[in-house]
Amino acid sequence: MAQFICRYQKGERVRWISHLDLKRTLERAMRRAGLPLELTKGHNPRPKLSFGPPLPLGATGDAELLALHLAEPLEPEGLKQLLNRQLPSGLEVLEAWRVPVHQKRETFGQVDVAEYKIMVSNGLNEEELGNRVSGLMESETLPVRRGGGRPEREVDLRPLIISLAVSRTGPHEIELQARLRTGSHGGARPQEVVDLLDLNDDGRVVRYHRTGLYASAGPPTQRRGGVWRRWTRARRSRGKDSES
Amino acid sequence: MLLSRVTKPARYTNGEWNAVHRDTASARARFALVYPDVYEVGMSHLGLQILYHTLNSTPDFVAERAFAPWPDMESELRSRGLPLTSLESRTPLRQFDAIGITLPYELTYANVLNVLDLAGIPIRASDRGPDDPLVIGGGPGAANPEPMADFFDAILIGEGEDAIVEMAEAVAEAERTDVLRRLAEIAGVYVPSFYEVSYEGVGPLARVTPRDGAPPVIGRRIVEDLDAAPFPTRQIVPFLDTVHARATLEIMRGCARGCRFCQAGTAYRPRRERSVAALLRQADELIANTGYDEISLLAFTSVDYGAIQELAARLVERFGERGIGVALPSLRADAFSVALANTIQKVRKTGLTFAPEAGTARLRRAIGKQMEEDDLFAAAEAAFSSGWTRLKLYFMIGLPTETDDDVAAIGDLVRRLVQFGRGVLGPRRNRLQIAVSAATFVPKPHTPFQWVGQHARDELERKHRILQTALRGRHIKLSWTDPGTSALEAAVSRGDRRVGAAIEAAWREGARFDSWGEYFDFGRWEAAFSQKGLSIGDYANSPLDYGAHLAWEHVSCGPDKSVLKAEAERAIEGGGL
Repeated sequence: MAQFICRYQKGERVRWISHLDLKRTLERAMRRAGLPLELTKGHNPRPKLSFGPPLPLGATGDAELLALHLAEPLEPEGLKQLLNRQLPSGLEVLEAWRVPVHQKRETFGQVDVAEYKIMVSNGLNEEELGNRVSGLMESETLPVRRGGGRPEREVDLRPLIISLAVSRTGPHEIELQARLRTGSHGGARPQEVVDLLDLNDDGRVVRYHRTGLYASAGPPTQRRGGVWRRWTRARRSRGKDSES
Repeated sequence: MLLSRVTKPARYTNGEWNAVHRDTASARARFALVYPDVYEVGMSHLGLQILYHTLNSTPDFVAERAFAPWPDMESELRSRGLPLTSLESRTPLRQFDAIGITLPYELTYANVLNVLDLAGIPIRASDRGPDDPLVIGGGPGAANPEPMADFFDAILIGEGEDAIVEMAEAVAEAERTDVLRRLAEIAGVYVPSFYEVSYEGVGPLARVTPRDGAPPVIGRRIVEDLDAAPFPTRQIVPFLDTVHARATLEIMRGCARGCRFCQAGTAYRPRRERSVAALLRQADELIANTGYDEISLLAFTSVDYGAIQELAARLVERFGERGIGVALPSLRADAFSVALANTIQKVRKTGLTFAPEAGTARLRRAIGKQMEEDDLFAAAEAAFSSGWTRLKLYFMIGLPTETDDDVAAIGDLVRRLVQFGRGVLGPRRNRLQIAVSAATFVPKPHTPFQWVGQHARDELERKHRILQTALRGRHIKLSWTDPGTSALEAAVSRGDRRVGAAIEAAWREGARFDSWGEYFDFGRWEAAFSQKGLSIGDYANSPLDYGAHLAWEHVSCGPDKSVLKAEAERAIEGGGL
């Protein structure tokens, strides 16, 4: 029995696939790859899979996480290659590593920070966006409405926004780097931040790309690739194959 | 971005596993295969996948897919002036050499016109020029091609595996001016513009006669040997959850049961089976190529397959340990079927479905439904004692020779089943539920009941009330088909070419997705018929004379008219076999 974590990319070709559909897609790819998936016990045996926080529909990302249990161990590199041969274009496992099998159900329960690159190409200048960002960050509270339909709730977004940084990336494109809370204890959606900044998002002028998933409880790291690595290290350091 | 503004954008993004992307430029003929309903419905249709892979497995021909865009997407396309494109290469449909459109059921016909219009292709064949693609139809609706005849350049009658390659060859070889003639030479292909229609009265009384040497009767195509027929084991795996999200293994085609109301029963004769060896090989390939966790054994009645026990046992033996289930989509109402379902199905579905069709033995005999009440009770006993607590029962209302007592007897039968079920279930009896679904009888061309009129709305509603009174009580849930929907189905099903004009009028008034309750508007259809000087009632409700010449008699779909007539007389006058 062995547990593996894969970091994968959800790219341009599949950014309109919902999280539920993506889960089914990955599960089918694993079956095609002939992975020795460990199944749950009971009437309706299912592979034991867990997934990191879902991406919003239409967003891309290369910090996406999934965990799987195999009945027999495999080389992580081999697992990655087997799976990549069976993934539709737009999906790719970027790396895989083995983690100790642990009892906790929520493998990714500690992931609580997400980092997004939000690309804005509506002609807005850097300074203006910078001003709006400062205004936002200086606010005491940022109430937004959620729930669309029935019990509509009000959520304060301010404590859920950790940082926002603006930079110019091209003649007609500026980039907003957003570090946001995510996960079961409450999170901000990148779309909500864009709405607060009044960026007139009809999907054409604003694109979302998730660059990192982090566990703020883990040790810090300087490595490029985001805080998910901190979390990874934290996990690994508890396992046998600790490297730090 | 357009996709951020529509529901389920994955309907339009393609790139699914096993979708075929080929160089279309070098192909000798390029086909766009269209299913005229939303993606999730179309992708559950095996026929589309068979034709898609059949064409794409040839070096010369390429097939891509398109579906009816949902109304939100339609309005985005129209407001931006964008043409409908294929999924794979995003080529505008009008740049294909041919558009192949399935005619799955009558309520999709407005969508057919809408797809053509969104593609910028004139909807009427007579308005299309040499630069437009050929529009070719086929599928179950082709059994009576007349209502759609004016919109198609050619319609294939019967099964398409072999014929589609012959048609593609004709499309590739022939000059545009000669291609219809070439197509008409292919067995099973009907070229409506080579025929003249003379009307002989109100309703579908019409005579379709050939001009210039076209065949007077078009016989349906059937595949002789299923084992030799192409079967796609690289089925496209949609990202979206479709109606049937599982691998489909077609174990048998056709049905030998002979229910007199059933068009599929005549149109797909004779019953043909695939061999166990071929099926096991295909099942292995299917699972390896798709990664599905369930294989569905497709047939009109899967348990009628000769070696069903052997096949099921060997599939379970092969796949069970890997968590891959085997499903029987269509059960017969008897203990054997339930026992088999019980041994092989991985997931304990909450309900089982049976189709007694009628409430009394007499009426079941009259319609040719071979089901004994004892078998139904044995099936129920087997189901309840192996853990199922819910049954769904299909009945039909308005069947030929049906009396009020027959309708009331449905209530009696269901109440006895409830009593029985409570007894068998014992302490779990409170979970018992029997869902009764009452469809409306629709007279279908090429069946013994093609001459019978459908009940008018008043009469149907009266019978629904009888049913409602007879089916009160705990554990029972009753639903029925909307009478307007049934009337339209009957009118189009027995329609002639004049009905095509009414379909066009309804589409122009906004008819779309008529099989979806939220979009169906009976008033719009009534108005469209009357705008063309027709009435739905003349086609749906009027009994037709045995001696009259019917609008679909130039299509041969199995039994001769004399055989159908003898069957009808036995049913109606003899009251049975």
